[in-house]
Amino acid sequence: MMALIGSVLVLLGAIFHFSAGLGMLRMPDVYTRMQAGTKASTLGNTLVLAGLAIYHPGWSLKLLIIVYFVLMTNPVSSHALARAAHSIRIPMAGDTGIDALRDARQKAGSGT
Amino acid sequence: MISSIVLTTGLLLILIGLWGMLTHRNILRIVIGFSLMGTGTHIVIVAIGYVANGTAPIIDHALSLSEAASRAVDPIPSALAVTAIVIGMAVTAVMLAYAIRLYEAKRTLSIDAFTESKW
Amino acid sequence: MIRRLSIIVAIVAFGLVFASLVIGHTEQQSLLPLAESYIRLVPQELGAANVITGILLTYRAFDTLGEVAVLFMVAAGVGLVLGGERPPRSGPLEDRFEGARPPSEIVQTGTQILVPLISIFAAYIIMNGHLTAGGGFQGGAVIASGVLLMLLTYPQYQPNPEFLGVTESVAGALFVLTGIAGLIAAGGFLDNRILPLGQFGAFFSAGTIPILSALLGIKVGCELSVILERFRP
Repeated sequence: MMALIGSVLVLLGAIFHFSAGLGMLRMPDVYTRMQAGTKASTLGNTLVLAGLAIYHPGWSLKLLIIVYFVLMTNPVSSHALARAAHSIRIPMAGDTGIDALRDARQKAGSGT
Repeated sequence: MISSIVLTTGLLLILIGLWGMLTHRNILRIVIGFSLMGTGTHIVIVAIGYVANGTAPIIDHALSLSEAASRAVDPIPSALAVTAIVIGMAVTAVMLAYAIRLYEAKRTLSIDAFTESKW
Repeated sequence: MIRRLSIIVAIVAFGLVFASLVIGHTEQQSLLPLAESYIRLVPQELGAANVITGILLTYRAFDTLGEVAVLFMVAAGVGLVLGGERPPRSGPLEDRFEGARPPSEIVQTGTQILVPLISIFAAYIIMNGHLTAGGGFQGGAVIASGVLLMLLTYPQYQPNPEFLGVTESVAGALFVLTGIAGLIAAGGFLDNRILPLGQFGAFFSAGTIPILSALLGIKVGCELSVILERFRP
Protein backbone atom coordinates (compact mmCIF):
# COMPACT_ATOMS: atom_id res chain seq x y z
CA MET A 1 0.00 0.00 0.00
CA MET A 2 2.78 2.40 0.99
CA ALA A 3 4.67 1.48 -2.15
CA LEU A 4 1.58 2.28 -4.22
CA ILE A 5 1.12 5.73 -2.63
CA GLY A 6 4.82 6.46 -3.09
CA SER A 7 4.70 5.42 -6.74
CA VAL A 8 1.63 7.59 -7.38
CA LEU A 9 3.40 10.59 -5.85
CA VAL A 10 6.51 9.97 -7.96
CA LEU A 11 4.31 9.70 -11.04
CA LEU A 12 2.57 12.97 -10.16
CA GLY A 13 5.96 14.62 -9.79
CA ALA A 14 7.01 13.27 -13.17
CA ILE A 15 3.85 14.74 -14.70
CA PHE A 16 4.72 18.13 -13.24
CA HIS A 17 8.26 17.81 -14.61
CA PHE A 18 6.78 17.01 -18.00
CA SER A 19 4.58 20.10 -17.83
CA ALA A 20 7.70 22.11 -16.95
CA GLY A 21 9.41 20.84 -20.09
CA LEU A 22 6.30 21.54 -22.13
CA GLY A 23 6.13 25.06 -20.73
CA MET A 24 9.78 25.69 -21.63
CA LEU A 25 8.99 24.74 -25.22
CA ARG A 26 5.61 26.41 -25.65
CA MET A 27 5.69 29.64 -23.60
CA PRO A 28 6.19 32.86 -25.60
CA ASP A 29 8.98 34.76 -23.79
CA VAL A 30 11.80 34.43 -21.25
CA TYR A 31 9.79 35.29 -18.16
CA THR A 32 6.89 32.94 -18.74
CA ARG A 33 9.27 30.15 -19.68
CA MET A 34 11.22 30.77 -16.51
CA GLN A 35 8.16 30.59 -14.31
CA ALA A 36 7.02 27.40 -16.04
CA GLY A 37 10.43 25.84 -15.51
CA THR A 38 10.79 26.94 -11.90
CA LYS A 39 7.36 26.47 -10.38
CA ALA A 40 6.53 23.19 -12.04
CA SER A 41 9.96 21.67 -11.44
CA THR A 42 10.03 22.77 -7.79
CA LEU A 43 6.67 21.11 -7.18
CA GLY A 44 7.71 18.10 -9.25
CA ASN A 45 10.94 17.66 -7.27
CA THR A 46 9.10 17.97 -3.99
CA LEU A 47 6.52 15.38 -5.04
CA VAL A 48 9.16 12.92 -6.29
CA LEU A 49 11.13 13.25 -3.06
CA ALA A 50 7.96 12.89 -0.96
CA GLY A 51 7.11 9.75 -2.89
CA LEU A 52 10.60 8.40 -2.21
CA ALA A 53 10.20 9.23 1.48
CA ILE A 54 7.03 7.12 1.61
CA TYR A 55 8.78 4.37 -0.30
CA HIS A 56 11.85 4.33 1.97
CA PRO A 57 10.86 5.80 5.36
CA GLY A 58 14.47 5.43 6.51
CA TRP A 59 15.61 8.13 4.07
CA SER A 60 13.05 10.69 5.24
CA LEU A 61 15.43 13.03 7.04
CA LYS A 62 17.93 13.23 4.19
CA LEU A 63 15.09 13.72 1.69
CA LEU A 64 13.65 16.48 3.88
CA ILE A 65 17.00 18.27 3.76
CA ILE A 66 17.07 17.90 -0.03
CA VAL A 67 13.52 19.30 -0.28
CA TYR A 68 14.56 22.26 1.87
CA PHE A 69 17.58 22.81 -0.37
CA VAL A 70 15.45 22.70 -3.54
CA LEU A 71 12.87 25.03 -2.04
CA MET A 72 15.64 27.48 -1.16
CA THR A 73 17.72 27.40 -4.33
CA ASN A 74 15.21 27.08 -7.13
CA PRO A 75 13.14 30.26 -6.53
CA VAL A 76 16.21 32.33 -5.62
CA SER A 77 18.12 31.41 -8.77
CA SER A 78 15.08 31.94 -10.96
CA HIS A 79 14.44 35.30 -9.28
CA ALA A 80 18.02 36.39 -9.92
CA LEU A 81 17.85 35.30 -13.56
CA ALA A 82 14.51 36.99 -14.17
CA ARG A 83 15.72 40.20 -12.56
CA ALA A 84 18.88 40.18 -14.66
CA ALA A 85 16.81 39.56 -17.79
CA HIS A 86 14.51 42.43 -16.86
CA SER A 87 17.36 44.85 -16.28
CA ILE A 88 19.00 44.18 -19.63
CA ARG A 89 15.53 44.81 -21.14
CA ILE A 90 14.80 41.47 -22.73
CA PRO A 91 11.40 42.11 -24.35
CA MET A 92 8.25 40.56 -22.99
CA ALA A 93 5.59 38.80 -25.03
CA GLY A 94 3.35 41.16 -26.95
CA ASP A 95 0.22 40.83 -24.85
CA THR A 96 1.86 41.40 -21.46
CA GLY A 97 -0.30 43.88 -19.56
CA ILE A 98 1.47 44.81 -16.34
CA ASP A 99 5.19 45.27 -15.62
CA ALA A 100 5.26 45.94 -11.90
CA LEU A 101 9.05 46.03 -11.58
CA ARG A 102 9.36 48.73 -14.28
CA ASP A 103 6.61 50.77 -12.65
CA ALA A 104 8.29 50.50 -9.27
CA ARG A 105 11.65 51.51 -10.74
CA GLN A 106 10.07 54.51 -12.51
CA LYS A 107 8.39 55.58 -9.31
CA ALA A 108 11.68 55.31 -7.43
CA GLY A 109 13.46 57.19 -10.21
CA SER A 110 10.92 60.05 -10.33
CA GLY A 111 10.83 60.27 -6.56
CA THR A 112 14.52 61.17 -6.24
CA MET B 1 19.65 -3.82 -21.88
CA ILE B 2 20.16 -0.98 -19.39
CA SER B 3 23.72 -0.41 -20.49
CA SER B 4 22.58 -0.24 -24.14
CA ILE B 5 20.12 2.56 -23.30
CA VAL B 6 22.78 4.46 -21.37
CA LEU B 7 25.32 3.88 -24.12
CA THR B 8 22.89 5.20 -26.76
CA THR B 9 22.19 8.28 -24.63
CA GLY B 10 25.90 9.00 -24.28
CA LEU B 11 26.61 8.53 -27.96
CA LEU B 12 23.63 10.74 -28.88
CA LEU B 13 24.98 13.44 -26.57
CA ILE B 14 28.35 13.20 -28.32
CA LEU B 15 26.60 13.59 -31.69
CA ILE B 16 24.56 16.58 -30.48
CA GLY B 17 27.71 18.22 -29.11
CA LEU B 18 29.55 17.62 -32.38
CA TRP B 19 26.64 19.05 -34.37
CA GLY B 20 26.57 22.12 -32.11
CA MET B 21 30.31 22.65 -32.50
CA LEU B 22 30.14 22.38 -36.28
CA THR B 23 27.06 24.50 -36.95
CA HIS B 24 27.36 27.37 -34.49
CA ARG B 25 29.69 30.31 -35.09
CA ASN B 26 29.70 31.71 -31.55
CA ILE B 27 32.72 30.66 -29.51
CA LEU B 28 30.68 30.22 -26.33
CA ARG B 29 28.32 27.85 -28.12
CA ILE B 30 31.30 25.90 -29.43
CA VAL B 31 32.56 25.58 -25.85
CA ILE B 32 29.11 24.35 -24.79
CA GLY B 33 29.16 21.79 -27.61
CA PHE B 34 32.59 20.61 -26.50
CA SER B 35 31.39 20.21 -22.90
CA LEU B 36 28.38 18.28 -24.16
CA MET B 37 30.69 15.91 -26.04
CA GLY B 38 32.71 15.46 -22.86
CA THR B 39 29.61 14.65 -20.85
CA GLY B 40 28.53 12.12 -23.48
CA THR B 41 31.96 10.49 -23.25
CA HIS B 42 31.65 10.16 -19.48
CA ILE B 43 28.24 8.50 -19.87
CA VAL B 44 29.70 6.09 -22.44
CA ILE B 45 32.58 5.23 -20.09
CA VAL B 46 30.17 4.47 -17.25
CA ALA B 47 27.87 2.46 -19.55
CA ILE B 48 30.76 0.25 -20.66
CA GLY B 49 31.48 -0.66 -17.05
CA TYR B 50 27.95 -1.84 -16.31
CA VAL B 51 27.55 -5.49 -15.37
CA ALA B 52 24.16 -7.16 -15.74
CA ASN B 53 22.06 -6.69 -12.59
CA GLY B 54 24.94 -4.83 -10.97
CA THR B 55 24.81 -2.12 -8.35
CA ALA B 56 27.25 0.58 -7.21
CA PRO B 57 30.49 -0.89 -5.83
CA ILE B 58 29.97 0.47 -2.33
CA ILE B 59 29.91 -2.10 0.46
CA ASP B 60 27.06 -1.35 2.87
CA HIS B 61 23.91 -3.03 4.10
CA ALA B 62 22.55 -3.13 0.56
CA LEU B 63 25.61 -4.98 -0.80
CA SER B 64 27.33 -7.38 1.55
CA LEU B 65 31.00 -8.18 1.36
CA SER B 66 30.48 -11.79 0.28
CA GLU B 67 28.25 -11.07 -2.72
CA ALA B 68 30.14 -7.93 -3.81
CA ALA B 69 32.13 -9.73 -6.49
CA SER B 70 29.00 -11.04 -8.16
CA ARG B 71 26.65 -8.06 -7.85
CA ALA B 72 28.80 -4.93 -8.21
CA VAL B 73 29.53 -3.06 -11.44
CA ASP B 74 33.06 -2.54 -12.70
CA PRO B 75 34.64 0.17 -10.50
CA ILE B 76 37.49 1.05 -12.87
CA PRO B 77 35.43 2.97 -15.48
CA SER B 78 33.76 4.88 -12.65
CA ALA B 79 37.14 5.90 -11.25
CA LEU B 80 38.17 6.88 -14.79
CA ALA B 81 35.01 8.97 -15.15
CA VAL B 82 35.87 10.93 -11.99
CA THR B 83 39.28 11.71 -13.49
CA ALA B 84 37.74 12.61 -16.84
CA ILE B 85 35.20 14.97 -15.29
CA VAL B 86 37.93 16.91 -13.47
CA ILE B 87 40.11 17.16 -16.56
CA GLY B 88 37.10 18.17 -18.67
CA MET B 89 36.30 20.95 -16.22
CA ALA B 90 39.91 22.15 -16.40
CA VAL B 91 39.82 22.19 -20.21
CA THR B 92 36.54 24.13 -20.15
CA ALA B 93 38.05 26.71 -17.79
CA VAL B 94 41.02 27.23 -20.12
CA MET B 95 38.73 27.51 -23.16
CA LEU B 96 36.55 30.10 -21.44
CA ALA B 97 39.62 32.10 -20.41
CA TYR B 98 40.76 32.17 -24.04
CA ALA B 99 37.24 33.14 -25.10
CA ILE B 100 37.43 36.18 -22.80
CA ARG B 101 40.81 37.15 -24.25
CA LEU B 102 39.55 36.73 -27.83
CA TYR B 103 36.52 38.88 -27.03
CA GLU B 104 38.79 41.59 -25.68
CA ALA B 105 40.96 41.46 -28.79
CA LYS B 106 38.21 41.75 -31.41
CA ARG B 107 35.12 42.78 -29.38
CA THR B 108 33.19 39.88 -30.89
CA LEU B 109 32.72 36.21 -30.12
CA SER B 110 31.97 35.13 -33.69
CA ILE B 111 34.56 32.71 -34.95
CA ASP B 112 34.29 34.30 -38.42
CA ALA B 113 36.21 37.32 -37.12
CA PHE B 114 39.31 35.30 -36.31
CA THR B 115 40.86 34.58 -39.69
CA GLU B 116 44.57 34.85 -38.88
CA SER B 117 45.23 31.13 -38.62
CA LYS B 118 42.75 30.13 -41.32
CA TRP B 119 44.05 28.77 -44.58
CA MET C 1 26.13 25.01 -48.92
CA ILE C 2 29.23 22.83 -49.16
CA ARG C 3 29.91 23.49 -45.51
CA ARG C 4 26.43 22.39 -44.48
CA LEU C 5 26.72 19.30 -46.65
CA SER C 6 30.06 18.33 -45.17
CA ILE C 7 28.66 18.83 -41.67
CA ILE C 8 25.76 16.51 -42.47
CA VAL C 9 28.16 13.95 -43.94
CA ALA C 10 30.37 14.09 -40.84
CA ILE C 11 27.42 13.74 -38.45
CA VAL C 12 25.94 10.85 -40.42
CA ALA C 13 29.31 9.09 -40.60
CA PHE C 14 29.82 9.43 -36.85
CA GLY C 15 26.22 8.30 -36.31
CA LEU C 16 26.84 5.16 -38.37
CA VAL C 17 30.00 4.35 -36.42
CA PHE C 18 28.16 4.89 -33.13
CA ALA C 19 25.18 2.82 -34.31
CA SER C 20 27.50 -0.07 -35.09
CA LEU C 21 28.98 0.35 -31.59
CA VAL C 22 25.53 0.17 -30.01
CA ILE C 23 24.50 -2.84 -32.10
CA GLY C 24 27.71 -4.68 -31.32
CA HIS C 25 27.52 -3.88 -27.63
CA THR C 26 26.83 -6.77 -25.32
CA GLU C 27 26.32 -6.27 -21.63
CA GLN C 28 29.01 -7.77 -19.41
CA GLN C 29 27.68 -10.76 -17.54
CA SER C 30 30.47 -10.96 -14.98
CA LEU C 31 33.32 -8.79 -13.83
CA LEU C 32 36.71 -8.74 -15.49
CA PRO C 33 39.48 -10.29 -13.37
CA LEU C 34 41.10 -6.93 -12.56
CA ALA C 35 37.80 -5.37 -11.46
CA GLU C 36 36.97 -8.43 -9.40
CA SER C 37 40.30 -8.32 -7.61
CA TYR C 38 39.82 -4.60 -6.90
CA ILE C 39 36.36 -5.26 -5.44
CA ARG C 40 37.79 -8.05 -3.30
CA LEU C 41 40.99 -6.28 -2.24
CA VAL C 42 39.73 -2.77 -1.43
CA PRO C 43 37.50 -3.82 1.51
CA GLN C 44 39.96 -6.46 2.69
CA GLU C 45 43.32 -4.72 2.39
CA LEU C 46 42.34 -1.08 2.65
CA GLY C 47 39.17 -1.26 4.76
CA ALA C 48 37.31 1.23 2.55
CA ALA C 49 33.63 0.58 1.86
CA ASN C 50 33.61 2.68 -1.32
CA VAL C 51 35.69 0.72 -3.81
CA ILE C 52 36.03 3.68 -6.21
CA THR C 53 37.50 5.93 -3.52
CA GLY C 54 39.83 3.11 -2.53
CA ILE C 55 41.07 2.85 -6.10
CA LEU C 56 41.37 6.62 -6.54
CA LEU C 57 43.16 7.31 -3.28
CA THR C 58 45.38 4.25 -2.90
CA TYR C 59 45.96 2.03 -5.90
CA ARG C 60 45.73 4.90 -8.40
CA ALA C 61 46.56 7.73 -6.00
CA PHE C 62 49.55 8.70 -8.11
CA ASP C 63 47.11 9.50 -10.95
CA THR C 64 45.06 11.56 -8.53
CA LEU C 65 48.17 13.49 -7.56
CA GLY C 66 48.84 14.18 -11.23
CA GLU C 67 45.26 15.26 -11.70
CA VAL C 68 45.52 17.76 -8.85
CA ALA C 69 48.73 19.00 -10.46
CA VAL C 70 46.80 19.51 -13.71
CA LEU C 71 44.18 21.54 -11.81
CA PHE C 72 46.94 23.62 -10.23
CA MET C 73 48.48 24.27 -13.63
CA VAL C 74 45.06 25.26 -15.00
CA ALA C 75 44.64 27.75 -12.16
CA ALA C 76 48.06 29.18 -12.97
CA GLY C 77 47.35 29.12 -16.72
CA VAL C 78 43.99 30.86 -16.39
CA GLY C 79 45.73 33.47 -14.26
CA LEU C 80 48.36 33.87 -16.96
CA VAL C 81 45.80 34.17 -19.78
CA LEU C 82 43.47 36.50 -17.92
CA GLY C 83 46.20 38.41 -16.09
CA GLY C 84 48.54 40.96 -17.54
CA GLU C 85 47.55 44.55 -18.15
CA ARG C 86 43.89 44.10 -18.96
CA PRO C 87 42.36 47.51 -18.45
CA PRO C 88 39.30 46.66 -16.33
CA ARG C 89 41.12 44.46 -13.87
CA SER C 90 43.44 47.20 -12.69
CA GLY C 91 42.20 49.69 -10.13
CA PRO C 92 40.53 49.07 -6.81
CA LEU C 93 37.70 46.57 -6.64
CA GLU C 94 35.06 49.13 -5.68
CA ASP C 95 35.62 51.19 -8.86
CA ARG C 96 35.28 48.20 -11.14
CA PHE C 97 31.71 47.59 -10.01
CA GLU C 98 30.62 51.19 -9.72
CA GLY C 99 27.83 50.98 -12.30
CA ALA C 100 26.76 47.49 -11.28
CA ARG C 101 23.28 46.97 -9.93
CA PRO C 102 23.22 45.95 -6.28
CA PRO C 103 21.99 42.40 -5.68
CA SER C 104 18.38 42.18 -4.65
CA GLU C 105 17.38 41.43 -1.11
CA ILE C 106 16.03 38.00 -1.95
CA VAL C 107 19.35 36.93 -3.43
CA GLN C 108 21.27 38.31 -0.43
CA THR C 109 19.08 36.52 2.08
CA GLY C 110 19.17 33.33 0.03
CA THR C 111 22.97 33.47 -0.05
CA GLN C 112 23.17 33.96 3.70
CA ILE C 113 21.06 30.86 4.22
CA LEU C 114 22.64 28.75 1.50
CA VAL C 115 26.38 29.30 1.92
CA PRO C 116 26.56 27.64 5.37
CA LEU C 117 24.38 24.80 4.08
CA ILE C 118 26.64 24.33 1.06
CA SER C 119 29.74 24.33 3.28
CA ILE C 120 28.28 21.68 5.58
CA PHE C 121 27.25 19.59 2.60
CA ALA C 122 30.76 19.88 1.14
CA ALA C 123 32.32 18.76 4.42
CA TYR C 124 29.89 15.83 4.56
CA ILE C 125 30.74 14.75 1.04
CA ILE C 126 34.49 15.03 1.63
CA MET C 127 34.57 13.23 4.96
CA ASN C 128 32.31 10.35 3.91
CA GLY C 129 34.21 9.59 0.72
CA HIS C 130 35.42 6.23 2.01
CA LEU C 131 31.94 5.11 3.16
CA THR C 132 29.43 6.37 0.60
CA ALA C 133 29.51 8.09 -2.75
CA GLY C 134 31.66 11.19 -2.54
CA GLY C 135 35.25 12.20 -2.06
CA GLY C 136 37.70 15.02 -2.35
CA PHE C 137 37.02 16.16 -5.89
CA GLN C 138 33.26 16.26 -5.56
CA GLY C 139 33.38 18.04 -2.20
CA GLY C 140 35.94 20.53 -3.50
CA ALA C 141 33.63 21.37 -6.39
CA VAL C 142 30.79 21.94 -3.91
CA ILE C 143 33.01 24.30 -1.87
CA ALA C 144 33.78 26.20 -5.06
CA SER C 145 30.06 26.47 -5.83
CA GLY C 146 29.61 28.21 -2.47
CA VAL C 147 32.42 30.61 -3.36
CA LEU C 148 30.76 31.18 -6.74
CA LEU C 149 27.49 32.05 -5.01
CA MET C 150 29.33 34.57 -2.83
CA LEU C 151 31.02 36.08 -5.89
CA LEU C 152 27.69 36.39 -7.69
CA THR C 153 25.87 37.96 -4.77
CA TYR C 154 28.53 40.33 -3.46
CA PRO C 155 30.55 41.72 -6.38
CA GLN C 156 33.00 43.27 -3.92
CA TYR C 157 33.63 39.99 -2.11
CA GLN C 158 37.30 39.12 -2.37
CA PRO C 159 38.51 35.70 -1.27
CA ASN C 160 41.96 36.28 0.16
CA PRO C 161 44.36 35.07 -2.56
CA GLU C 162 47.30 34.61 -0.16
CA PHE C 163 45.17 32.51 2.16
CA LEU C 164 43.91 30.38 -0.75
CA GLY C 165 47.42 29.95 -2.12
CA VAL C 166 48.98 29.02 1.21
CA THR C 167 46.15 26.62 2.14
CA GLU C 168 46.33 24.95 -1.23
CA SER C 169 50.12 24.56 -1.07
CA VAL C 170 50.05 23.21 2.49
CA ALA C 171 47.35 20.69 1.58
CA GLY C 172 49.34 19.57 -1.45
CA ALA C 173 52.55 19.24 0.56
CA LEU C 174 50.78 17.25 3.28
CA PHE C 175 49.30 14.97 0.60
CA VAL C 176 52.77 14.19 -0.74
CA LEU C 177 54.18 13.81 2.81
CA THR C 178 51.45 11.30 3.64
CA GLY C 179 52.42 9.43 0.50
CA ILE C 180 56.10 9.39 1.50
CA ALA C 181 55.15 8.21 4.99
CA GLY C 182 53.34 5.33 3.33
CA LEU C 183 56.51 4.61 1.36
CA ILE C 184 58.54 4.40 4.59
CA ALA C 185 56.12 2.81 7.04
CA ALA C 186 53.97 0.62 4.80
CA GLY C 187 53.99 -1.01 1.39
CA GLY C 188 54.51 1.87 -1.01
CA PHE C 189 53.86 5.45 -2.06
CA LEU C 190 50.47 6.65 -0.73
CA ASP C 191 49.79 3.31 0.99
CA ASN C 192 46.98 3.93 3.46
CA ARG C 193 47.96 1.32 6.03
CA ILE C 194 50.26 3.52 8.11
CA LEU C 195 47.25 4.23 10.34
CA PRO C 196 45.14 1.43 11.85
CA LEU C 197 42.39 0.35 9.50
CA GLY C 198 39.79 0.47 12.25
CA GLN C 199 36.41 -1.18 12.13
CA PHE C 200 35.05 -1.66 8.62
CA GLY C 201 32.34 0.90 7.85
CA ALA C 202 33.11 3.19 10.79
CA PHE C 203 33.83 6.88 10.31
CA PHE C 204 37.46 6.59 11.50
CA SER C 205 38.52 3.70 9.34
CA ALA C 206 40.40 2.88 6.15
CA GLY C 207 43.76 4.22 7.37
CA THR C 208 44.80 7.47 5.74
CA ILE C 209 42.03 7.56 3.12
CA PRO C 210 39.83 10.08 5.05
CA ILE C 211 42.89 12.29 5.64
CA LEU C 212 43.90 12.16 1.99
CA SER C 213 40.29 12.85 1.03
CA ALA C 214 40.12 15.90 3.27
CA LEU C 215 43.44 17.25 1.93
CA LEU C 216 42.27 16.65 -1.62
CA GLY C 217 38.97 18.42 -0.94
CA ILE C 218 40.71 21.46 0.55
CA LYS C 219 43.17 21.61 -2.32
CA VAL C 220 40.57 21.23 -5.06
CA GLY C 221 38.23 23.73 -3.38
CA CYS C 222 41.01 26.35 -3.16
CA GLU C 223 42.11 25.76 -6.75
CA LEU C 224 38.60 26.02 -8.16
CA SER C 225 37.96 29.14 -6.06
CA VAL C 226 41.11 30.73 -7.47
CA ILE C 227 39.99 29.85 -11.01
CA LEU C 228 36.53 31.35 -10.38
CA GLU C 229 38.04 34.48 -8.87
CA ARG C 230 40.19 35.00 -11.97
CA PHE C 231 37.14 34.98 -14.22
CA ARG C 232 35.46 38.06 -12.88
CA PRO C 233 35.97 41.41 -14.61
